[in-house]
Amino acid sequence: MAELAQTLHYEEVEEGTELPALVIELTPTVIISTAIASRDYQDVHHDRDLAQQKGSKDIFMNILSTNGFVGRFVTDWAGPEAVLKKVAIRLGAPNYPYDEMRMSGRVEKKEISEGEGLVELSVRGANGLGDHVKGTVQIVLPREGAA
Amino acid sequence: MTAPSLDDQLQEMVAQATPAPGTPARDPVNPPMIRHWCDAIGDANPVYTDPAAAEASCFGGIVAPPTMLQAWSMLGLANRGPGSKTEPPRAGGGPTQLLNEAGYTSVVATDCEQEYLRYLRPGDLLTGETELESISGEKSTGLGDGYFLTTRTTYRDQEGEVVGIMRFRILWFKPRQKGG
Repeated sequence: MAELAQTLHYEEVEEGTELPALVIELTPTVIISTAIASRDYQDVHHDRDLAQQKGSKDIFMNILSTNGFVGRFVTDWAGPEAVLKKVAIRLGAPNYPYDEMRMSGRVEKKEISEGEGLVELSVRGANGLGDHVKGTVQIVLPREGAA
Repeated sequence: MTAPSLDDQLQEMVAQATPAPGTPARDPVNPPMIRHWCDAIGDANPVYTDPAAAEASCFGGIVAPPTMLQAWSMLGLANRGPGSKTEPPRAGGGPTQLLNEAGYTSVVATDCEQEYLRYLRPGDLLTGETELESISGEKSTGLGDGYFLTTRTTYRDQEGEVVGIMRFRILWFKPRQKGG
């Protein structure tokens, strides 16, 4: 079995902490495989000719995949036992192939809510055209000394 | 008597909207779809794909990435025969048809807000009930002029328990003509 990496404890996290950056290479394979993995067969996510006929310069990443990358970005940092409670994103510049998305984030707020260590993060993914995604993620982290 | 404007017709549809009872997802939450997703997203979290590691974690077994919530109920290529040239069916019903007929034929998703009440496990079968929440007036955007539609979907499991909530916004727009 894969070693279960450590998960950050609520007590270890400070407001203002920056998350380590994550760069996603936006190959056509990434755009298409993530669309299909999310069962999204809208042609603009896999067929360049039809995407261009519809006024887009190329195929572009679907929003379900952006959600997936945001979730991965957060748990890559926080660890496997961080529990996602809420992901709220707004899309801007499309993720076209042959660009890259540079993800960054920071801890905005932390509080104990009903005994749970709730942490709110701001997340951003920028590509060569500007901000592809801006959002907020809420997670629960284990507390020190808790079973 | 003049015909009601597009805006009036759209707002009437919002006022009349009732939650559309969904049909159950085509497949229950399952490890192969989870693996495809994790491979494509590059997510190596073992609680999604490694039964032993998942068992040893706070989840006590395999769970689906929570951000897959919407993927479970996507239609994929359903109702679209092999080699068919027709487009996959689109959610949205009345307002979508009205907007398409008025020339707003391109669509992009712009906002998504998901709340996870519990993590999903293999075997869970989701049904999403979607309600039209609002439609904006015509907006000028970088893509072209268009209308924002906001829906709210409540996902329930096979027991009827609410497991997730999603607010989703799309923009239907008139694509700009290329090259004048």
